[in-house]
Amino acid sequence: VTLARPELEVRPDLGLQLDDTWRALGAAGARWTGAERVRIIAEARAARLDTVPTRELDDATTRAARAVAAHPASIRQRWVGELAADGLGPDHYVELVAVVSRAVAIDTFLEGLGLPVEPLPEPVAGDPSGEVDHRARRAAAWVPMVGGASITQALSLVPTANAELERLHGTLYLTFEEMSEVEPGKDLSRPQMELVAARTSAHNECFY
Amino acid sequence: VLAHIGLLRWSAQETETPVDLRAVVDPTVDPLIPAGRELLSFVDATLTSPRTDKARSLRSAVGERALIMAAAVIGNFQMMNRVADATGMPVGTGSRRKNAALIEELGLARFDHLADGSA
Repeated sequence: VTLARPELEVRPDLGLQLDDTWRALGAAGARWTGAERVRIIAEARAARLDTVPTRELDDATTRAARAVAAHPASIRQRWVGELAADGLGPDHYVELVAVVSRAVAIDTFLEGLGLPVEPLPEPVAGDPSGEVDHRARRAAAWVPMVGGASITQALSLVPTANAELERLHGTLYLTFEEMSEVEPGKDLSRPQMELVAARTSAHNECFY
Repeated sequence: VLAHIGLLRWSAQETETPVDLRAVVDPTVDPLIPAGRELLSFVDATLTSPRTDKARSLRSAVGERALIMAAAVIGNFQMMNRVADATGMPVGTGSRRKNAALIEELGLARFDHLADGSA
């Protein structure tokens, strides 16, 4: 991820994590190939720019990528069920959510700093691992999770997706352990961080 | 939004920082915390006008490293909000009960989409 602007004093761990995330987005996951994941990111970007679908994906995947990227507050349980009926089952859907949400995070970070978004990740050859956690069960949330509905386990049906989300969360904001610290020693005070977090969530109309 | 308004209230109390929680949803309200207005303007501009230069006033208020952290936090919650809404992450009944007055005062129920179609 290009952060090479002399006045930007980017923490080394932040720059490295962004690079790792961007590369990983172009590699195969549990259910999608690297090339498919890159096409999902392209669709997500098209949706955020309110441009027409790329026509590079099947209909259900296109609908999912566009909704998660551009109007997540409109998503309903029935709609997730319709995606499954159209062939986008829970493990594919959960991995798509992980891909789109991380790509949007990095795009937004760069946009905030007035930097251009990255070119799409280079697709890495390789087959999906097929690794899903069969202990995951559907409970209070709409997709299966391990250990019940919890934001820290939201993507736990696909363990690598959940782990990658947690790492990026820890770098962009706080690790799950740091969340109980009132002075975590980042570059904003905790109240300042929470003001930014809350206002962002209000923009996104996210009740959680 | 509910979780982070709660964390904003908690962290402000713990650090003895004045805060007006209404500022989260009402742009006319001063949040009172240091550089709060500049931070909110930065969030608003980042999410509504991504191609404009919005960093200048925040940079002069808090410095370069804090500006970068603010952009990182916005990015993080662009991610986490999508994860929460796309997976139907529920707000527990205990949290709803505990924050009932806050939900009412700030009008947060209008964001409570997850109840729709959850039958």
